[in-house]
Amino acid sequence: MFERRRARILLAALVLVTLVLVTVDYRAGGGGPVATLREFASDVFGPIQDGVSAVLRPVRNFINGIGDLFSARTDVHELQQRIDELEEEQASISDLQREIASLRALLAMDQEMGLETVTAEVIGAPPSNFEYTVTIDVGTDDGVREDMVVVAGDGLVGRIVQATSNASRVLLAIDKNFAAAVRVASSGEQGIVTGGGSEPMRLELVDPDAPIEVGDEIVTSSYEGGTFPDGVPVGTVEALGGDELSRTATVRQYIDFTKLDFVLVIIRGPVRPPPPPVDPDEATATPTSTSTPTGTATSTADPTEPSPTPPSETEPAIEPTPTATSST
Amino acid sequence: MIRGLIIALVLFTAAVAQTSVFPHLAIGGFRPDLLLLATVAFAFRDGALTGLYVGFAAGLLADLLLAVPPVGINALVFLVIGYTVGVVRPYLASESVTAPLALALATGIIGIGGYGVVARTLGASEASLGLVLRTAVIVALYDTLLAPVVFATIRRLSGRYPPERAVQI
Repeated sequence: MFERRRARILLAALVLVTLVLVTVDYRAGGGGPVATLREFASDVFGPIQDGVSAVLRPVRNFINGIGDLFSARTDVHELQQRIDELEEEQASISDLQREIASLRALLAMDQEMGLETVTAEVIGAPPSNFEYTVTIDVGTDDGVREDMVVVAGDGLVGRIVQATSNASRVLLAIDKNFAAAVRVASSGEQGIVTGGGSEPMRLELVDPDAPIEVGDEIVTSSYEGGTFPDGVPVGTVEALGGDELSRTATVRQYIDFTKLDFVLVIIRGPVRPPPPPVDPDEATATPTSTSTPTGTATSTADPTEPSPTPPSETEPAIEPTPTATSST
Repeated sequence: MIRGLIIALVLFTAAVAQTSVFPHLAIGGFRPDLLLLATVAFAFRDGALTGLYVGFAAGLLADLLLAVPPVGINALVFLVIGYTVGVVRPYLASESVTAPLALALATGIIGIGGYGVVARTLGASEASLGLVLRTAVIVALYDTLLAPVVFATIRRLSGRYPPERAVQI
């Protein structure tokens, strides 16, 4: 009887404590004393998750290899179909040349954009199935800060929402709390894309009359100096929706978020070319307008993975942190 | 003291497995909730008081490992589930094979669903009710698969390091 009463009192007390915790953290908006606790937990678990991830890597690769083996037959069949289609269509030379040029541009984009990045390995997932985040093995010691953009070979991954000394949490682009300014690659029409959880992402165009078609590519936009660098691939339009007042579409993302292994954190966005050196003897002369291409601040995760962002020379810096260092 | 350390070690291990190992063994993108399962197993073995303590600790740990505030939702849901399992424990056969499976299924649906609804209400999650329901069912089934191992492990550990006073409610 006594124990039962004790349990009831304890139940009421702990419920009260949790309600106070929820209220305090809710009002602090993720800051305050509870945030310190959260960072402490991240600091403790980060290295352990890193170690476990390293230990499990061979097992994970083995499991992925089995999966790839099963899908290989399907892939071969699909590729054979594609070859047949191409042979039948006899694509014009100009189209092929355009495609080659596009691929060359993709391969060269990291040198041309001058992104300063930090390579990170995904070491953990959240305990909840309702939160689409991952933990990566780099933190403030590596120059990572909150709101920095994270990309992978295929395109946009998300942004940093918490950075501790040795680990960071990335809010994935498919999380329903995620939103990014984007544009339709072909037309330049601006919009906002939001995560859809286990469903496709949702795009809402600024101009409801903007032309958009299924299959159009969606890339990030640095409209009005936003968080994201311009041109990072997000996905393709899967279906159209909306009405006369608002034009919406669902977007199928490029990234396979179930197979994230390595990502790049963009420490510094595309930088402008430095001004040309001035010869003191010719200081009074008119400065030359030529500039050297940037690329000294680039470090990529995997040499086999091209940077996902297209070339651009006029984008503003995302996070102007001169002291940030890059590592691979 | 030793029992407290054992419980802490179990919860710590469950949290590491849940965030580092099971993401690679996800079914349809869904992972089991080992912290909830451990709470239910402890409550089923030792009663409501243990269920309360372990549920609160496990839920708080899960909350602190999330990136989106607020902290406390999991703690609230887990401790209520721990208490409830402890209260209904006398009505279940302790040596039954089916009881852990039924408990894992029921608490999985209620726990995950409850978290989803509360988080949605507080604006911590934008998950639709359909997604919450689907997640709750799949995670509960995954928990049910793992229940025999988790319950057996915790029964053995708790038998070796029993609580100082048995709580019979």
